[in-house]
Amino acid sequence: MNPITLNVNLVPLIPELTLIGGLLVLLVIDLIVRWQRGVTLAVGGSILLVVIAVITLSGDNNVGSYLFGAVVQDGVTSFFRLFFVLATIISIGILVFSFPKSGEPFLLILSGVLGMFLLAGSNDLVTLFVALELVSIPSYVLAGYRKNDSRSGEAALKYVLFGALSSGLMLYGFSLLYGLTGATNLPAMAQKLASLPNGSSMAHLAGLILVLAGIGYKIAMVPFHFWCPDVYEGSPTPVTAFFSVVPKAAGIAALIRLMPVFNTLEPIYGVTSVGLITLASAVTMTFGNLGAIWQDSLKRLLAYSSIAHAGYILMGFAVMAAFPHGEIHTFALQAILFYLVVYLFMNLGAFLIIDMVERKLGGDGIHLFKGLGKSSPLVALAFAVLLFSLIGLPPLAGFIGKFYLFAALVKGKLWGLAMIGIANSVVAMFYYVRIIRDMFLHDPDEDAAPVTVNFGKLSAVLALVTVVPTLILGVWWGPLAEWIKSMV
Amino acid sequence: MGPLTFITFLPAVGAVIIACLPRNNHKLIQYTALFFAAVVMIIAFSLYPQFDKGAVGINDPNSFQFVEKASWIEMFHVDYFVGVDGLSFPMILLTALLSFLCIPASFGIKKGVKGYFALFLLLETGMLGTFVALDFFLFYVFWEVMLLPMYFLIGIWGGPRRVYAAIKFFIYTLIGSVLMLIVMLVFYFNISDPITGTHTFNMLHMMNSSNHSGIMLVNSFKVLLFFGLYIGFAIKIPAFPFHTWLPDAHVEAPTAVSVILAGVLLKMGTYGLLRITYPILPETTKEFAWFIALIGVINIIYGAFCAMAQKDLKKLVAYSSISHMGFVMLAMASFTPAGMNGAVLQMFNHGTITAMLFLLVGVIYDRAHHRQIDGFGGIANVMPRYLGVTALAFFASLGLPGLSGFISEIMCFIGAFSEWRTFTIIAIGGIIITAAYLLWTLQRIFFGETNPKYETITDINGRELFTLLPLAAIVLVLGVYPHLVLGLMNSSMTYLGQLIQTTVAL
Repeated sequence: MNPITLNVNLVPLIPELTLIGGLLVLLVIDLIVRWQRGVTLAVGGSILLVVIAVITLSGDNNVGSYLFGAVVQDGVTSFFRLFFVLATIISIGILVFSFPKSGEPFLLILSGVLGMFLLAGSNDLVTLFVALELVSIPSYVLAGYRKNDSRSGEAALKYVLFGALSSGLMLYGFSLLYGLTGATNLPAMAQKLASLPNGSSMAHLAGLILVLAGIGYKIAMVPFHFWCPDVYEGSPTPVTAFFSVVPKAAGIAALIRLMPVFNTLEPIYGVTSVGLITLASAVTMTFGNLGAIWQDSLKRLLAYSSIAHAGYILMGFAVMAAFPHGEIHTFALQAILFYLVVYLFMNLGAFLIIDMVERKLGGDGIHLFKGLGKSSPLVALAFAVLLFSLIGLPPLAGFIGKFYLFAALVKGKLWGLAMIGIANSVVAMFYYVRIIRDMFLHDPDEDAAPVTVNFGKLSAVLALVTVVPTLILGVWWGPLAEWIKSMV
Repeated sequence: MGPLTFITFLPAVGAVIIACLPRNNHKLIQYTALFFAAVVMIIAFSLYPQFDKGAVGINDPNSFQFVEKASWIEMFHVDYFVGVDGLSFPMILLTALLSFLCIPASFGIKKGVKGYFALFLLLETGMLGTFVALDFFLFYVFWEVMLLPMYFLIGIWGGPRRVYAAIKFFIYTLIGSVLMLIVMLVFYFNISDPITGTHTFNMLHMMNSSNHSGIMLVNSFKVLLFFGLYIGFAIKIPAFPFHTWLPDAHVEAPTAVSVILAGVLLKMGTYGLLRITYPILPETTKEFAWFIALIGVINIIYGAFCAMAQKDLKKLVAYSSISHMGFVMLAMASFTPAGMNGAVLQMFNHGTITAMLFLLVGVIYDRAHHRQIDGFGGIANVMPRYLGVTALAFFASLGLPGLSGFISEIMCFIGAFSEWRTFTIIAIGGIIITAAYLLWTLQRIFFGETNPKYETITDINGRELFTLLPLAAIVLVLGVYPHLVLGLMNSSMTYLGQLIQTTVAL
């Protein structure tokens, strides 16, 4: 019997290991501290995340795959780690207002982040699935965290049910792909799928569609988005803010890792991977935008808008699928990552404002925003900047993000999708401008008590952290673009 | 920092300063805005003697003036590249002048004074930036920067249906600009910088067809690009059938915003065609010149008939703008020296004349609180000075010889006649309709029995005259000595016309 030597290099996993260690410490702190537990954990968690960011930044040179190929460490992994750190710190900041006294939400978020870290580096179907579940399970609990609120419970239940279904679908897809290749390692699988003797088969196609469905659930891709508006509406607003950005980005990370597998599909029954993703993108953005028009709850509205934004991001994937290698492929990937960063700032900022208004006025109905421009000009102005950025108007970050995505489409000559994207940009304007119109062009409802929403110290900092980059990235995005270029 | 950057961003600086001023000190806010607009105007006009009238510009990088160029986003090859030539310089003067005059014209605004003037100055930055930009990306950014202030200026300070008008303006303009965005990206990826070989947003590189590659060489694709740009610009002009936002926007907009809208923003459309479409897609432009001319004629006739049917004075002026922008389109489709010069001169003259008309509508509206043409009558007896200025503006608008409108219209027709004989003959009919509706309006408002309701109405006051007299002076001076403006543009516009004429249509 041969002696098995486990020569495992754990260096690239230091960020994850630090996070695990830190989580355990925070758990203990949560048990000891009696006073302002939430605040304590928020501070502790933020420090932990900053430490991890520093470690990630200093450990970029460990490029390669580790743990028998289960984990890959490259620029994209580092990018997503930093992305999750930044987005989570801002989310934690928003969360403090609602949960100053309870520690659990913070611990849950951090354990979700652990899953996302693994997901960003996963190079194997098993790692990918475990990581995805590690993201999902804390999310279910977070959605239902307001125990006395039936809507919160409903949100959690819907989330779990849809989550379970999509996990099942994805696993089935995995099993088909595994059956075809006998590999779980993604590069190996891609290689084998590409050299199948009889070309692509029905099982190949079905496997990929099922996997896309599983990922599609995570990023709220139509038609796997049904949970999204209800969960976003029912969850506590800060949790919704987190959901709308961080797990979605994790899904994007997983899709990036899966792209080589998707690219193996040879046209079968006229279906290509480009066609699949193009269709998904077009349907997702169109449905998201059309759905958003009719919403009166801002959280639901932003839920649909986030569906639409997932559709925009999928435009980048369509280009990646059309050009499996080379310059255009990399350019599309850069466009996707750039868009994610921009989306982080504008969406978290928008939810910050909604949360502030909700805590003050007790709801997120669009009518509550009427006359906000008069009663609370600063808050309304910040919100307007974020919304204009979400529309994609220059000189704001959202425009540059969309610009890169459209540039990728034009570069890849996907004219049809570009035209659909353009049409969607116009449709999207309706519902965002509707909010701005209500804030500035209308007076408050007559029977509504005049209430002003003001920035506190923390909320002012958070608003600055989200609004200032939205403004600056609109005119000076060169450094960010360069950085992303260096990462991919 | 050169003068162009200075005048472009000075209003934005003013907007920021105004945003920091105390909310209730209206006087301070008004005079701060006036100060910034005045400085911009003075600097703009101080460039006049320095401007080299012989320099061609258009597609020649060496003969643009006051050029500033710096790398903005190196990775995407976006430059901060500004400069002026004979096409843009008159527009800069017009913008600086009208923006300045509109500030005192807005002193009557009592609601949200701070926001109003801050947005107004921001709008000025957007307008000046659009006219000086020589990098397509920069142009696009400034083009969109104009959208937001305009939306709020109409939507917050407008009339009863302001929300509807603002959103309609927003939608139309946004549709136009997203089409432009796609065309811009196609240009970017299929046109290369001759020196570095990279993609480029530099408009002057785009104008050199030896830099074109890929689908930019496919004729059928060029037609698509042409119409993508055309729709984007036509919405701004506004050319039939994309004009329907204009009457709504004008009727609801406050007076000064109407002045800017008609005086400057509409010129953006024809400016964009001349600055971007003409030199970058010369063959396609030549191929579809008939189309531009046809739409021009439709604008002239249709706009004039619509104007005649209006009961609301402001709507009448709005439709007259549509009609007068038709002259610009008809003339610029001829490519002859007279036509090209006439088109830009008409842009300038229409800017000043229509500004007067809207200011005059504002004067009467402030007193009577309505604009129904039939609701007045015999005003001449109580407002003799008002009658004088109005008559001057109306006569200039209908093209009375000796006033500026005549010169540019006659140039438009002379230029267009050699190329589009039938179109021109039909268009000249528009002059008659214009004369008819303007004179008829003049008669209904000023003559006849004095309406007893308005017997005690006060005549035009000093502040209003302050805004109108400079424009009246320009109308008179350019009516007898058009060379003051024509001289600026002649070499550039003649060159641009030749450029198109010497290319072979698709």
